[in-house]
Amino acid sequence: MLEAIFFLPLLTGLLTLCLPVRSGRVVLMAVALLHLGLTGFCWLHAPAPHLPTYFGNGPAGVLVLLVISFIFVCIAPYSIFYMREQEMRSEPIFLGCMQLFLGTMSMAALADHPIVLWIAIEATTLASAPLIFINRSKKALEATWKYVLICSVGIALALLGFFFITLALDRAGIDVPLTFSALNEAARQLDPLWLRTGFIFVLIGFGTKMGLAPMHTWLPDAHSEAPSPASALLSGALLNCAFLGIYKVHCLMVLAGLGEFSGSLLIGFGLLSIAVAGIFILNQPDYKRMLAYSSIENMGVIALGIGVGGLGLYGAMLHLIHHSLLKSSLFLSAGNLVLGFGTKLVAQCGGMARLLPRTCLGFFAGFLGISGLPPFGIFVSELMILTGAIQTGHPIAAGLFIAALVLVVAGFARIATDMAFGPVREEVLVPEQTVRIVPPLALLATSVLLCVWMPEPLYETITSTIAMIGGTLHG
Amino acid sequence: MNTGIDVVLVVILLSVLLSLASSRMMALVKIMALQGAMVSIAPLLLDEHSPLSNEGILFFQLMFLIKAALIPGLLYLAVTKVAIKREVEPIVGYHASLVVGLGLILLSAYITHHLGISLTGDAALLLIAAITTLGGGLFLMMSRTKAITQVIGYLMLENGIYLVGTALTGQSHSIYLVEFGVLLDLLVGVMIMGIILHNINRTFDDVDTAYLGQLKD
Amino acid sequence: MESVLSFGLALVLAPLFPGIILKVKALFAGKQGPPLLIKYWTLAKLLRKGSVYSTSTSFVFRLGPLVACATAIAALLFFPFAGKAPLVSFHGDVIVLFYLLGLGRFFTIAAALDTGSPFEGMGAAREAFFGTLAEAAIFAVLILFFRLNGSLILAGYFTGNQPIAIAGPQGALLILAVVALFMLLLAENSRVPVDDPATHLELTMIHEVMILDHSGPDLALIELGAFYKLFLYAALIASLLKPAGLAGPFAGTLAFYALMAVVYVAIGITESLTARLKMNMVPKYILTSFALVFFAIILTVEIA
Repeated sequence: MLEAIFFLPLLTGLLTLCLPVRSGRVVLMAVALLHLGLTGFCWLHAPAPHLPTYFGNGPAGVLVLLVISFIFVCIAPYSIFYMREQEMRSEPIFLGCMQLFLGTMSMAALADHPIVLWIAIEATTLASAPLIFINRSKKALEATWKYVLICSVGIALALLGFFFITLALDRAGIDVPLTFSALNEAARQLDPLWLRTGFIFVLIGFGTKMGLAPMHTWLPDAHSEAPSPASALLSGALLNCAFLGIYKVHCLMVLAGLGEFSGSLLIGFGLLSIAVAGIFILNQPDYKRMLAYSSIENMGVIALGIGVGGLGLYGAMLHLIHHSLLKSSLFLSAGNLVLGFGTKLVAQCGGMARLLPRTCLGFFAGFLGISGLPPFGIFVSELMILTGAIQTGHPIAAGLFIAALVLVVAGFARIATDMAFGPVREEVLVPEQTVRIVPPLALLATSVLLCVWMPEPLYETITSTIAMIGGTLHG
Repeated sequence: MNTGIDVVLVVILLSVLLSLASSRMMALVKIMALQGAMVSIAPLLLDEHSPLSNEGILFFQLMFLIKAALIPGLLYLAVTKVAIKREVEPIVGYHASLVVGLGLILLSAYITHHLGISLTGDAALLLIAAITTLGGGLFLMMSRTKAITQVIGYLMLENGIYLVGTALTGQSHSIYLVEFGVLLDLLVGVMIMGIILHNINRTFDDVDTAYLGQLKD
Repeated sequence: MESVLSFGLALVLAPLFPGIILKVKALFAGKQGPPLLIKYWTLAKLLRKGSVYSTSTSFVFRLGPLVACATAIAALLFFPFAGKAPLVSFHGDVIVLFYLLGLGRFFTIAAALDTGSPFEGMGAAREAFFGTLAEAAIFAVLILFFRLNGSLILAGYFTGNQPIAIAGPQGALLILAVVALFMLLLAENSRVPVDDPATHLELTMIHEVMILDHSGPDLALIELGAFYKLFLYAALIASLLKPAGLAGPFAGTLAFYALMAVVYVAIGITESLTARLKMNMVPKYILTSFALVFFAIILTVEIA
């Protein structure tokens, strides 16, 4: 039953590849809604997996699944209308690959077996590469090539990491099935040397996919060259899946008593990502690239939060949710901007407030949110991570974190002012359209809503996600 | 000492070194075919795998077909049909590449020594060969300009991972785990197909990653 | 007595084998090819003729062919053909052996420079450069053998209880050594991927261009020296390939010469199938052989 969540989009995705465009669009929308429905069912009834050796509905997995599903529902209608403006030659491929992408990501979220998780994440690369190349321009080719190649190498290293973890199991001489749940129970008996080696490789491997610096180089290219709905999905959903892979192995490390080691690695990579992203945001002429670097920064924040532990864990999970909501909203707004102005350069987007007022509203609200200002959720989550860092005795990390955040905010502020006061343009190419305005605003509204009112099941899932490795809301 | 596996491993090392030094695309493709064949039969020669089930035999045949015939065949197609220039065009010269190869084997011998574990039987040389192949693949990816050479580098990296898998997880989970390495081959296949299809479309003149340098900060 | 006989046999048979190469190449080209004994006829023809000396040359020019041939023969003295004890053998003779060959090379080069011809100077420069590179690889091979066997006597490598051979306990490593030695053989003896003995353009020559001015008996001596040098390298490879257990005096010798024939056929096939390397690719080629041996050396550390 649980498996239906990812089988459905995989099947319909393959189907859509051969359907005409119109019915393809209908299928996409239907699948998005159905997927959300199934996810809701999964939350309420927690159906047992059909293949318990491979899949499971752990709290971290269903949390990521919900985020993916919700974002996809918002992106699906947007992308249909976005694609109509683009007059794409190969729209069936786009529609089909969107669903395949959703399916592989759901599979990654629900995987309990390390190798299944690995296969699912590799499959996301394959399913999303056509989305990036859909424009068939020279730049899109470059971005796709980098994406496929760098991520493949990263994923290959992650497989090596899983080999090492299996070796840790073999050398301990215990016979348990190779699933994360079973490994977690036997964590104390695993061979620590190989577990550490395995973690390093998994961190580097999935860190590549997650966009942690210095393995992030594919990310800005892929996110800026993909059509905006695909960028929103890449940034809001895919990065979370890769993060989930790292998180699961980190849990294993903590349970094996090696949390100190894996935590400090996560803190290191996290801080480096925030700093690198901050530096590149500061003088970024291209707003989609800027958003991509902001994703790197936020992934760094999440890694930092997980690394420091305690309250930071809760903050990191919250950050994951809010970052996905805000960043996909921003990419959707950016898509409207690309349609309207036909450029990705900040300097040529003057007069946005007059020509595209509603997009402007969404874009700047998103900017505020992603910079960590209230009433958006990132304010709360970053505050929690900061508090967590200080509580758990990482004052230096906290200091660096603040400094890097200042850089990021400065970069955002510069871009916002450039866009507001740039040379005013006379007309837009494609005017605003309500169907393309509502989804980003809905995503923003959800973030605000979650800030003031957290539904009970969501709260419980987050706490049970982090309770396993000793995180609580009360520090 | 089991001589069969040693011969295979030495030939794998030989192929790594020759691939670093080869200046012709065709030679590189042939070397990769040899390496693929050797890598796919290596697990069969290890002692611990000797009693093979029917599925096991089938799997190794499949592996051999993919690694030694299918993928080199695709590469061959890519090089001949797609009019890729015959020269390899390295960023790092051949002499330096060879020296790097020497460094790699020193490094992998060092790593194998200092892992401080008693690996079963022939695994010492196996691990050296595996790490060298892995590193050689990575280096090839970084130091050659052509897209197809990068794919070949990835293929080599993947061969190395497959070898590490066979070297390390020799016991209960081994066959089961390593089988998934085939999926990496799938990825390679997809990349090569990408290059072929892409060039048939004639969108661009030459798949040289040196031309892929527009996106940067 | 056995040693003298085997040495004599080697001296007599050495010019036979290059005929095999010519035959193989001809067969690949779809021709019938010269008779196998062609090189003997060539030598006989050259020895019957007189020599012409340029007035600008000195005694160095006349010395070159003599020394080249003499050193090659002297080097053969150390070699245990088919596992028989060699005529001369002492501690460290492997080093002497390769420097004897180096001496021969030096005099060939000196003779070439002595003519004052620009072409010959060019060939000499190339020969000196590639020879220097190959020397590193050869000594790497010697280090490998030393590690495997602990001996510095050429005879010690291939005779005794633990001969170095593919069939032996560390045979797998020797695959690398055999490939490297074969590459070196081609490089050192001016065979195809490095030099083309059949070329007709001075600009592309290495070894042949140095001996353009030699004629008659001098040329015969140079040719003979080249045959012996090639014979020595081929014998090294054949000794490595020799299967264990063929200890009988007759069977052992027969097996050895059969393997020699195999090596020469391999040279012929290589020459037929490969094209010459660009001149600037030759160092890479030699370095590759060095790297192969280096791999093997590292692996001896690991396995031992």
